[in-house]
Amino acid sequence: MAEIKTQDFTAASKAAINNPKLRRALDRVASGFEVARLDRVAEATPEVWERWKQEARDIKAHTIEHLDYYLDLLYTNVTAAGGHLHFAKDAAQANEIVAHIARTRNVKIATKSKSMVSEELGLNPVLEAVGVEVWETDLGEYIIQLAGETPSHLVAPALHKSKEDVAELFAEKLGIPYDEDIFHMAATAREVLRDKFMEADLGISGANFVIAETGTLVIITNEGNGRLCTSAPRIHIGITGMEKVIPSLQDLSIFLRLLPQSATGQRITSYVSMTTGPRRSDDEDGPEEFHLVLVDNGRSRMLADPALREALYCIRCGACLNICPVYARVGGHAYGWVYPGPIGAVVSPMLVGLKKAKELPQASSLCGACREVCPIKIDIPKMFLHLRNQTAESPDPNLRSAPIVERTMAKMYARLMSSPRLLGLSRRFGRALQLAEGMIPFSPLIKDGKWIRMAPLPPLSKWTRSRDLPALPKQSFHDIWKKELSRDDS
Amino acid sequence: MTTPESSELLGVPKEEFLQSVREALGRSNVPPSQPYPRLTDSLPELEKQAAQIRRHLEENLPDLLDKLADMAGKGGWNVHRASGVEEAIAYIETVARESEATNIVRSAQDVFDQIPVDAALANLGFKVTTVLRDDGNPREALREEIRQSGIGITGADYALAETGSLVVLPRKGLSRLVSVVPPVHIALVRPKDILGSLDDLFLLRRLEYHQRGGEMGSYLNFITGPSRTADIEMTIVEGVHGPKEVHMIILG
Repeated sequence: MAEIKTQDFTAASKAAINNPKLRRALDRVASGFEVARLDRVAEATPEVWERWKQEARDIKAHTIEHLDYYLDLLYTNVTAAGGHLHFAKDAAQANEIVAHIARTRNVKIATKSKSMVSEELGLNPVLEAVGVEVWETDLGEYIIQLAGETPSHLVAPALHKSKEDVAELFAEKLGIPYDEDIFHMAATAREVLRDKFMEADLGISGANFVIAETGTLVIITNEGNGRLCTSAPRIHIGITGMEKVIPSLQDLSIFLRLLPQSATGQRITSYVSMTTGPRRSDDEDGPEEFHLVLVDNGRSRMLADPALREALYCIRCGACLNICPVYARVGGHAYGWVYPGPIGAVVSPMLVGLKKAKELPQASSLCGACREVCPIKIDIPKMFLHLRNQTAESPDPNLRSAPIVERTMAKMYARLMSSPRLLGLSRRFGRALQLAEGMIPFSPLIKDGKWIRMAPLPPLSKWTRSRDLPALPKQSFHDIWKKELSRDDS
Repeated sequence: MTTPESSELLGVPKEEFLQSVREALGRSNVPPSQPYPRLTDSLPELEKQAAQIRRHLEENLPDLLDKLADMAGKGGWNVHRASGVEEAIAYIETVARESEATNIVRSAQDVFDQIPVDAALANLGFKVTTVLRDDGNPREALREEIRQSGIGITGADYALAETGSLVVLPRKGLSRLVSVVPPVHIALVRPKDILGSLDDLFLLRRLEYHQRGGEMGSYLNFITGPSRTADIEMTIVEGVHGPKEVHMIILG
């Protein structure tokens, strides 16, 4: 499985905020994908878009509720088409399946089209250990493979890198002169990878959807590398999560509309490649063997919790990343694992364990923008609250997200707010403190009698480090109500 | 004798995996209580819907041709509407002359019986190869020919007005590599190839799948515009692994 650094979220996000290069890269995403997505919604009309979303959600909900049935149907039809379907319960098992196929078929070179699940599994080092040369062929994935990094966005894995970074990387790793022209760099990748496509014995792809009715794997790409990976080598292995199955071929239209438009704002991507089984005897090209590997790897934990089940509806379009104010500031790597952004902050805790990722559900202001843009209407904020509740109330101290002081304060706050008498007392006490503070020359804590600039004690002092707190007014709402507003209208 | 593939069990046995899914769902083995509508249509029902689609296409052909041209243009195709065979060939000649190609590869589809491009291109000095594999032209040799070609020319199985996409299916004499490996791709679309929407396409494919006793064909590819990436600083670059320049010639 890919290395887990989710426990370092706070430190990593602080570092990210202070990185001006990352800031520029993230600004480009915000102004790119989301603006284009809005154009598509307007073009479809918001009413139609809403209908599409509901239809897609209904399909996903139905499939996940009957996942066992559709996986069985998929198995029947992949097999009928001459392919092989393998089930893996965890990352180690999935990697072993692919490594076994590579070993027994004497695979020397593998080309890969973009697969987030293979990133999740940490497949490449396992294949390399059995002597396979592995080439990522999506330009973004190729860049991060050369750099030895992980993707920072679901759709654009290398967006955190500037063109200068990539030029330096290419100069260092490929031994070519430094050239920061983006068009030249793309041409270099084309050149290097072209031979590999033709030499490869094995093509590995992810899958955006798999169709139970026909045993078909669907991949959605723009560069053309997916087409080459799935048609040129003698073996094709598709790897994906078990939740990617959809029932019927006719269900695909709605997803082909929603996914590209939500992801990059394209009406459709340059390529949609659907493959069913290996090459037939009359075909001019295509693999001799086709394998599909479906992984659980923690997904059944999401399935088992009705409050989190809908996270499995996700089609990985990345729209929630592109709109999220937290992602826009900390970027993808701060989330510490393969899946970043709002949906990642739900999925990662479930796949790596909440204990290691208990801070991730806190990485949200609960503004609801992610729910708004999600083409499957996944209620991400509700799942954040559910996970926060689990971390707050857990009897296991390792699972709890807040230290004892914060928890005690929260309890005291709850007590205070539910007792009018205590609240009144503390208000008077607070006002007295404010008055006393006003006597101190230059009044260091309170500004204009309206704002508390610095609270003297934690945890309030932590809160006021980055914002002001409204000071207590001379009259509370309660007082005003009693004096002026509570006249009897009846 | 069993082949190594058929005897090997990798990972978890299916039943064990499905059982763990059922446990997570908190229930035993129960199929969906109501049949899923898009899985249950009978063949006659699908045929009826297919006939409706075809009627709609016939009645709206001029509009659909316009829409295809519009959407294909928006999708990044250089669209050329040719009123006749000569005009189509003349356009192909122009594209070929303006390219850097010396070799051209084309698929062996029946559209080329209607549009005989070989002679015209040979006259201009291009070496034209047809994807027709026989004992004298094995797969590897063919692959090398495709790699050496500056232009690939194909027909279409379908063209979708909704998205401006070309749809290709496996055929004898049609290699997927022709439309992805050379830097220039020219696609020939006839009015009879046109479909209105994704829904039309998948309904017709489903019908054919069931008519053929559950044979889907090994692939179905959509091509919409040139190969693209925006992976470096969100700058769009055309022609990464696939063609940089794509032309759709719509006949009629």
